[in-house]
Amino acid sequence: MSTYGARHAPSAFSTPASIALFRRLTWEGTVPLEIRVDGKELPANSNRGLECYFVQAPRVSYLPLLVPEVRQFLMDVVFDENGGRVVKEEEWWFEREDGGLVKWHWPIGLIYDTYTTSLAPAAAAAASPVPLKLVLHLASPPTDKLLLQPSADACKQAFMGQLKEADFLRWGSTKRMTGLRKQEQDGIWDGIKEHNFDTYWRIASKITPTPSPNAQGGRSPSPAPVPPSSASMVHTRPPSAEPGAGSDANRDAATSVRSVPVRIYLPDGPVLQDLVPPTLDDGAPHILGRFLHSHLPLLFPAPPGPSELAYAVVQGVLCPMDAEMAWLGACMAGADGWVSVCVGIGRFGG
Amino acid sequence: MAASPDIRAIPSSWTASDSGAAKEALDALETYKKKDPSKVVVRFRAIGNAPIMRQNFYKITASNRFQAVIQFLRKELGWKSGDPLYTYINMAFSPAPDDTVSNLFKSFSTDGHLIVNYSTTAAWG
Repeated sequence: MSTYGARHAPSAFSTPASIALFRRLTWEGTVPLEIRVDGKELPANSNRGLECYFVQAPRVSYLPLLVPEVRQFLMDVVFDENGGRVVKEEEWWFEREDGGLVKWHWPIGLIYDTYTTSLAPAAAAAASPVPLKLVLHLASPPTDKLLLQPSADACKQAFMGQLKEADFLRWGSTKRMTGLRKQEQDGIWDGIKEHNFDTYWRIASKITPTPSPNAQGGRSPSPAPVPPSSASMVHTRPPSAEPGAGSDANRDAATSVRSVPVRIYLPDGPVLQDLVPPTLDDGAPHILGRFLHSHLPLLFPAPPGPSELAYAVVQGVLCPMDAEMAWLGACMAGADGWVSVCVGIGRFGG
Repeated sequence: MAASPDIRAIPSSWTASDSGAAKEALDALETYKKKDPSKVVVRFRAIGNAPIMRQNFYKITASNRFQAVIQFLRKELGWKSGDPLYTYINMAFSPAPDDTVSNLFKSFSTDGHLIVNYSTTAAWG
């Protein structure tokens, strides 16, 4: 009954090195942002004309985490001594230059990918990376529309919430997340704040499904400790199969999840979320083409080949239709555990 | 409210010969953007000292954001916007306020309803 036994193509999970590579690539991905301060809100005696900050921001990070460096830049270059004392970071908020609130609780990479796949004319030239232009307001946040205060602390809470939701989707409980010590939970966020791959993955490897036979998710230093609920991670193997024993028990972990945490983002449109089993009823691995066809048959009419009408972007990369959902969940999810599939219409990159 | 782009504009990546495909894709997008008018059953369950409501099962429009559910709950409880109110799904996590009821229902419903727990203090962080 093993789906691996029935498959002849090499498993996407067969090379631990490539898992680590894609996790590293996802982590190191950046997008160009152009952050311009609203001129009307600059304090008196500011150096006008210089209040534009360009940054190649990490995809896995968040706008509130950029605030300290933007503030530093403004202090160094734009504000005079008084200006620095007058501005209140708690009142800072972002808007897209073409209008519209920015969802600051979304990872920066997602904000960028939904921008490039949107139908806004400016985004259409996204063949070469075009900076996403943002306006930074220094005052009067529209609290009714913002839903949450864009503080670093609220950002952390939102991030942890997304991690838990992903955990619950995968296993039907948040045991793995709640099984982490407070120090470790904080450690995941520290990894994001400091943008440190090892700090983040040291703990994330305990809760992210790993396809690697040696239970390390491809990382070579100290092996990831086996989480206490590991026996329940592998539903299809006899209890005697110990993860890390070199058996293929752990390789099934990513394919033992109830559902891969995935969201589909339509251009300027709704966000779709549903159960995404790693394996379909007929035993075949759930691949992107079939997933998109089942949810958006009008845009992806004929699985498993590519569509003439639309394409899918994951972490800024055009995703092939035969990508396995379980593999995407293990290797190209955002730091919050979610695979963001951004659908664009037409052809990627023109 | 975002300045709506002209959604009938064909992305520059398509040439004139693609106009049939362009129309098909844009029409498809229109279909998918339509708000789902159906309702789903939400079951509110109090945690800790939070008051239990007379009625706990409600039909909520699927396309609503979770933020609307929180506001609805506040109104039903008669609480003001400053009063602490924490909400969770399946006693496990707090969804983002812009997650839709439809998505949460599809992912987390049990026995045909979506369980929303509420309390006056943070329960599961």
